[in-house]
Amino acid sequence: MSRAQSRMKSGSMKIMELKSYWVLALIAALTLTASRPAGAAPPRRPSTATSAQPQQAPSDGDHTLAAMQDELDRSRTRLELSVPGSNEPARPYFIQYRLLDLDVRTIVAEFGALVSSTHGRNRIMSVDVRVGNYNLDSSNFITDEGFTGFLGSTGTVGIDRDYDSLRQDLWLATDQAFKAAVENYSKKQAFMSRLAKAPSIPDFSAAEPTVLVEPLHDSDWTTRNWENEARAVSAALRQFPQLYSSRVTYHLIYTTSYLLNTDGTKIRANHSLAAIEASLDTESDDGMSLHNFVAVYRHRPDELPSAEDVRKQVEKAGEDLITLRVSPPAADYDGPVLFEAPAAGSLLAQILGPSLSGARGPLAMQSAFDQLMDRLGGRNEWTGKLGTRVLPGTVSMVDDPTAKQFGGRDLLGTYDVDQEGVKAQKVQVVENGLLLDFLMSRRPGPDLDKTNGHGRAAYLGDPRPMASNLFFTSTDGISPDAMKRKFMDECKQNGNKWCLIVRAMDNPVLGVLEQDDLSDIVMGAASGAATGDRLPLLVYRVDAADGQESLIRGAHLSGLTVRAIRNIAAVGNDATAFDFMQSQQAGFAGTALAAFGSADSGVPTTIIAPSLLLDDVEVHGARGEPERLPLVPPPPIN
Amino acid sequence: VKKTGLAVLAALFSVSASAANKPARVPVPQPAVEQASEVAPSPVIATMTQELNREMPIFSKATPPAYFISYILTSTDRTEVMGSNGALLSSEDSRSRWLETQVRVGSYNLDDTHKVGNSPASQGTFGTAVPLDDAPEVLRRAMWLSTDKQFRAASEALIKIQTSKEVQAQTAEEHAPDFSREKPSVHYGPEVSIHPDRKPWEEKVRLYTRAFRASPQILNSIVTFSATGVNQYQVTSEGTSLQFGQVHYRLELFIQGKAPDGMDINRYYNFDWTNPSDEPDDKTVLAEGQVLRKELEALVAAPLVEPYAGPALLTGRATAVFFHEVFGHRAEGFRQKDITEGQTFARKVDEQILPKFISIYDDPTMKRLGKDILLGFYPFDDEGVPAERVTLVDHGVLKNFEMSRQPLIGFPHSNGHGRRQIGAQPVSRQGNLIVESNLTVSNAELRKKLIEEIKQQGKPFGLLIDDIAGGFTFTGRGQPQAFQVQPLVVYKVFPDGRPDELVRGVDIVGTPLVSLTKIVATGDTIETFNGYCGAESGSVPVSASAPAILISEMEVQKKETSTDKPPILPPPAHDPKAVHP
Repeated sequence: MSRAQSRMKSGSMKIMELKSYWVLALIAALTLTASRPAGAAPPRRPSTATSAQPQQAPSDGDHTLAAMQDELDRSRTRLELSVPGSNEPARPYFIQYRLLDLDVRTIVAEFGALVSSTHGRNRIMSVDVRVGNYNLDSSNFITDEGFTGFLGSTGTVGIDRDYDSLRQDLWLATDQAFKAAVENYSKKQAFMSRLAKAPSIPDFSAAEPTVLVEPLHDSDWTTRNWENEARAVSAALRQFPQLYSSRVTYHLIYTTSYLLNTDGTKIRANHSLAAIEASLDTESDDGMSLHNFVAVYRHRPDELPSAEDVRKQVEKAGEDLITLRVSPPAADYDGPVLFEAPAAGSLLAQILGPSLSGARGPLAMQSAFDQLMDRLGGRNEWTGKLGTRVLPGTVSMVDDPTAKQFGGRDLLGTYDVDQEGVKAQKVQVVENGLLLDFLMSRRPGPDLDKTNGHGRAAYLGDPRPMASNLFFTSTDGISPDAMKRKFMDECKQNGNKWCLIVRAMDNPVLGVLEQDDLSDIVMGAASGAATGDRLPLLVYRVDAADGQESLIRGAHLSGLTVRAIRNIAAVGNDATAFDFMQSQQAGFAGTALAAFGSADSGVPTTIIAPSLLLDDVEVHGARGEPERLPLVPPPPIN
Repeated sequence: VKKTGLAVLAALFSVSASAANKPARVPVPQPAVEQASEVAPSPVIATMTQELNREMPIFSKATPPAYFISYILTSTDRTEVMGSNGALLSSEDSRSRWLETQVRVGSYNLDDTHKVGNSPASQGTFGTAVPLDDAPEVLRRAMWLSTDKQFRAASEALIKIQTSKEVQAQTAEEHAPDFSREKPSVHYGPEVSIHPDRKPWEEKVRLYTRAFRASPQILNSIVTFSATGVNQYQVTSEGTSLQFGQVHYRLELFIQGKAPDGMDINRYYNFDWTNPSDEPDDKTVLAEGQVLRKELEALVAAPLVEPYAGPALLTGRATAVFFHEVFGHRAEGFRQKDITEGQTFARKVDEQILPKFISIYDDPTMKRLGKDILLGFYPFDDEGVPAERVTLVDHGVLKNFEMSRQPLIGFPHSNGHGRRQIGAQPVSRQGNLIVESNLTVSNAELRKKLIEEIKQQGKPFGLLIDDIAGGFTFTGRGQPQAFQVQPLVVYKVFPDGRPDELVRGVDIVGTPLVSLTKIVATGDTIETFNGYCGAESGSVPVSASAPAILISEMEVQKKETSTDKPPILPPPAHDPKAVHP
């Protein structure tokens, strides 16, 4: 296996070798086995008996849906397994096939030189088989089992769009998934019989079947020379010899996703994503690690801004980081903090993530899992609060995957059907401060049962309710100038000599290049997630007397949970779109690490939010001993 | 499915097979590496030397002082085309350049790698990706950062070691120096490149895997073509400066099935070549595929073996893996020093450990043996030491170990066996392990001897082991001193002339030193395995070559079965009730 490892290490990036750190990986492993949404609903009759008529040969040469359909029908009607102590053999009540066809280019450059450039096409499948019924089935359960055999229910399959090889792969995956479901179901029943009070939330909900078969698209690699663009953009950082390392990554991704299930849903849909992610790091003279990042996301490669435009953004990030290097360290502080858009959008993404989802958690055989979720801040703090005020009375919040644009720019979270094949729906989550609804997948929750088309995932991850295009609006938004005046007034009233403005929030997943540093942040952030620790990137100290601004470094924000935004001192009228890749690691949704993924792992999302003034934020200066600087001065770069 | 399958496969095949059934009596060692022609070094060497010369003077005066710095830049071009069940799975080219930096602090006698008690030796980092483009300043920046990082880690490690009480109480073996002094090597060989055309291979892997679809017993098939061109550049503070390249082409066939009781049945075969024109033709590959298919189908239907102890004949291929696992790993020098290891051979130098007719050497300087390439060929090891032929056993007497630059008392120098997978710290490893015998009979004669032995011992049958996958060799002291290799194709041989009977689920058990002494005769045909061997320093290419052997007593047990039952429904293509387009 070591060859595979060495290939990974040597830089050839595979789309499935997602950025993951051990804690995240642990959670992912746990949640993957666990999840699978569900609602309560009368068992739907799967579509009618096995078709006897063979599929027509498709004119586009794509036999994927035909192979999926035939194997689905065969499995639905003929899979059964006798269960000890029962006269009735176990049969699946729901089967779903998902398949993702990926055509991906990844280009990495640093300081003007190409580090790697890969282009690969892959197909991965994921098979979900459920035993039991909507109220109680084989899903939402974390057993004490680990690995269960080499022929799993997920994996890589052939890329020829042919019939025979795919059917063979689906056959084995379905068999494996069905057997695992039967075993999980029986273990789950045994486990529940030991509980004083078995949870009553259903496991799965019915959904209207959707049929949407788009014509196949061709990947358009256009005429742009992406390798040269990556070189040109990254070369902008050569002018900053104080930087330690830097990296500019172009992710160009075309996908076709297929979904077929026993409800009669049939999907073939095309998607694409283009991203430029840059990271740069250095140390201050007193040994504090510092970094900055740039992230640009578009729907299609040809929509990416020109190398010249991106170069300017990267240059600006370099200038900010160099300024940060020589800026004074943050001191402890309590008082008003102004979050300028789009930093406010980033903050909301972190705070709101876990609380928007109305889906239930899994049942775990080991209580450690529950405790872990609590500590990591993955809990929905709005559970049981439908109809009550959770935000200021002037604020409303809508999540709308059907919205296409804002301010003339495409929104990132737009889709027609979600990852469970359910039609996208606009959801009014909060109206005039009152919590009205949650984002729902087909997995019911404590307050709601039905999906509203928000089962989202990337790369066939487990679909879970996530924001798509989230609009945070206020009826009494004020202008940026008025915001600033209000902020200064608050500052003086508070008796502070200076107060803080946050212009950018951090995204350590993108910004940090050193794995060791990231691990430190993971551990630090994980412990503070439940208490609302947030990492800002660009924080300015504003003199209360003369309004003079100066950048400070190493500040940590604390206590920024959903409670902290129930009352907001002032909301701007400068709504700004903040594009990001939402992490699929649900357990971490409350941390910066969690909220944010990279283009090779995350779910595209936009939050539209104005500047926010919070009047009482706890801020800590840097803690811990800084490391010594390198013994040898850096070699010349220019 | 595929990726996990491969992982399992790789784990299974500590030495994975390749084969050969060619006659070649005792191998004639070829003249040591023909000295590859010297060329002008790549500009990369100058860049690396320049940065080394900036770093070393400062770190050698730091506290604690660095006494050795090494940089290895590995440039890898790889093409991989995979097929499965009749379709293309993936087809990709990749290029990478990887920088590994090693900084040693302290002294040759005691440095930061010194092993104390049971604590793991300090590990280098995995290194870092550096530009494919020729960009001297960017490469130097990566060297600068990684040198500081390595120095920092090494300093911390050394301080811990120096303050450890256990160091004072160490045995003589443990007090051997940590790093040997070696003469620096300077050699600039030509850089290699590969230019495979993926298109024809895409068709080939489809064709080869499509053929396996004809068998309902084959649940999954994967065929992988790979071409790898590696150029390695190394500079050290001792003055070593190296540049050399290697090319390797490989085609692997892998099929999976399941016996009715759920036991996994896998068959695997690989072709290896270094010259593009030596690639196997379709006819050869399809024929080998048919052999695998027949073996798999027979194994699926075969009965389970019952526990047995008695004579066994191992074919050359099986013997080669057997020696690699049972002997080769235990002759790795670093194990003799490590108190957590069993030190099986540590105090047996100059003692008779094998029958007098057996000699064993490890020779990484050999590129071929007969018509087979030897995958364990390399001109310099991963510590920059020239590869050497080492006689490990001379007429049954243990003489030497595979040595890296980690010395042993009595073995102060490397013999060019310090190896690693990119990213790992080198330790002593095998290269091309070759078993020679001067008590040979023809293979047909050897079979007759097996039957005589069965009769003599009054056993109902003997075993013929035709194919072995390297298992996990437990050499740690906490583990029982036993080994497990996994015979894949095993026949019962009856003394009364009945046809041989295939059995499955065979595991060999026993004590290595004892089983090695029970070899009574050998065949006259050397066979070679090429494979990747996984151990402490990662996976490295190796070969093992040996004649067939007859062992007077071998003990076998039944292998644990997988709990995974065979699929409920028949394969779609072989299901009369299934709907097809």
